[in-house]
Amino acid sequence: MGLEYVKISPGFEKYMPRDYVDLVKFGPFGKTYDVMELGQYKELVEDHPMCAGCYMAYFIRVFYAALPNPEDTIVLGTAGCARLALSQAAVPFVYGNYGDTNAVASGLKRALSIRFPDKHKDVVVVAGDGGLIDIGFGMTMHSWFRKEKFTTIMVDNEVYGNTGGQESGMSPKGVQLKMAPLGKKFDKINAVELAKIAGCVYVAKLAPTNPKRIARTVRRAILAARHFGPTFIHAYTSCNIEYSIPTRDVLADARNREKKDFKFYEWMTDEVKEFLEEVERKEKEVKR
Amino acid sequence: MYFVAEVNEKECSKYNCKQCVLFCPEPNCLNFRASTNSAWVWYDKCKGCEICVYVCSDLLKRHCIEMVMVTPKATAKS
Ligand SMILES: Cc1ncc(C[n+]2csc(CCOP(=O)(O)OP(=O)(O)O)c2C)c(N)n1
Ligand code: SF4
Ligand code: SF4
Ligand code: SF4
Repeated sequence: MGLEYVKISPGFEKYMPRDYVDLVKFGPFGKTYDVMELGQYKELVEDHPMCAGCYMAYFIRVFYAALPNPEDTIVLGTAGCARLALSQAAVPFVYGNYGDTNAVASGLKRALSIRFPDKHKDVVVVAGDGGLIDIGFGMTMHSWFRKEKFTTIMVDNEVYGNTGGQESGMSPKGVQLKMAPLGKKFDKINAVELAKIAGCVYVAKLAPTNPKRIARTVRRAILAARHFGPTFIHAYTSCNIEYSIPTRDVLADARNREKKDFKFYEWMTDEVKEFLEEVERKEKEVKR
Repeated sequence: MYFVAEVNEKECSKYNCKQCVLFCPEPNCLNFRASTNSAWVWYDKCKGCEICVYVCSDLLKRHCIEMVMVTPKATAKS
């Protein structure tokens, strides 16, 4: 981890796989590409087996483009669809046991701050609604109660996608799924309010309709976690398979949900607000 | 044999766009070439979802992307 590990030792270039050489030459390490430059440099994620048109895969693509320091980041995931792409990215990936991500991330973040006291090493959990709010609920909440300084991103497809369509706490009330044929009887859990009450210092909710905004949100959540405490993003990332959305309509569905229950929402403490304003003001000055 | 997206680059270059590139779920699949000011598809990476067609045709009414049956010749090009 770190820029010096990414670079290829002199003389070894011709023995390295083409993808890796491209990554070092044309990738984002040590540079700052804007998310609007996607498709014009070698991205961090490689080919992966997530379904055609999966907007969880899309969110993950933008997520990697938004990392403030990919060479100093560790991503944590678990069982569920997201890991299929997370494990194909050129950023160290730790596979937590299902439900354990936020406990593993807590230990990892603490260890990194002891080992590298004068550097920022970012830890980010990216996991499904089942992994974070059902089976991992206790560990997610306790990492927030303990004010652990890392970011948790819930890629919410409102179902257990990877295991064939069981309902989750995040499935909307009434929805019928392959393995919930009678329809869900309870409301969708309000994860954002739980995160606020449990101690997160930055909380956001979004649908993937605007890459610039996704990137800004991810960046803010990671920067705030470095200094102040836990941060949380609740992202709607549809499962076109389990919800039978024709792939061509996946973005239309996200735009539609944004108008209803996934309106962009952002909340942060006053000190985080002050900090982010200062950081973003300085960035603007540099660009000028 | 399967369908992949193909950009009509000549048509696309008339616009100052990139929108489809920003919404494709697959990394480095829909790319943008500044020298020709157009988007292009790396066929081997395309999963045929048509989200790009939704962006270009349904949202922007520019109709520069078509789904085509991929042939060995077409993939060799990329
Ligand atoms: C301890 C444990 N229990 C159950 C499983 C089986 N399992 C694998 S993925 C999954 C559900 C995934 O749902 P979610 O976390 O919402 O992610 P998605 O696949 O929908 O993205 C389950 C129950 C497991 N791997 N480990
Ligand atoms: S099952 Fe659903 S969430 Fe999982 S990769 Fe396929 S479309 Fe995406
Ligand atoms: S959306 Fe259409 S016009 Fe815009 S870059 Fe893509 S192909 Fe070109
Ligand atoms: S069809 Fe889907 S995967 Fe292929 S280029 Fe278009 S958006 Fe990307």
